[in-house]
Amino acid sequence: MNDLPRRKRLSGAASFALAISATLLLGGLAGVGSAVLGDQPGAVGFGLTAALITAALATGFVACVWWWRQIDEAAREAHKWAWWWGGSGGMAVGAVLLLTLMMRSDSQTLPESFGSTPADIFVSGMMSILLFQMAGYSLAWAGWWLKHR
Amino acid sequence: MNNRLKVLRAERNWSQADLAEQLGVSRQTVNALETGRYDPSLPLAFKIARVFEQPIESIFSAQGTPR
Repeated sequence: MNDLPRRKRLSGAASFALAISATLLLGGLAGVGSAVLGDQPGAVGFGLTAALITAALATGFVACVWWWRQIDEAAREAHKWAWWWGGSGGMAVGAVLLLTLMMRSDSQTLPESFGSTPADIFVSGMMSILLFQMAGYSLAWAGWWLKHR
Repeated sequence: MNNRLKVLRAERNWSQADLAEQLGVSRQTVNALETGRYDPSLPLAFKIARVFEQPIESIFSAQGTPR
């Protein structure tokens, strides 16, 4: 068995807040950077935007790894359970909406907020699923802790 | 799984936060362990045994097994 000396850990809430703050900060910087530098003509602007977004997401991933190492095994179990059941459940609920919209007749138009071009509608669909997954995840996470009190 | 964590902790006048600090887990996790709603991993069970200086089998028992 691994018998390493105990590491001082931040509380789950503190480490979560720190990881989220770092990710939001870097995400904001990447957003500002892509807004400013992405205006460069041609492939340069596209490449710079892709590079900044990649850097922001990589930083977010690193922050997640750090946060995951800060939390204890029960907290990890809660997140794993929430990821599977909440995320999958949320996705299933979101899929009902998306599939229903997909199979609508031509006479039924989508709300304007979904976008007008195929690319916009595609992104709206992805973001909708993500929101449903996050809602399911949050509910399942809270449920896990309520059940294990 | 049953455990005697609450009794052992009370004998030592430790709060849940004290025990959590020694185990390197959150107070919520200690609470979940004490209520028997969460079963610890083997490494954590060994750590608990070491903190209370007792063998694992004197702290944990399978549900329904007479001690």
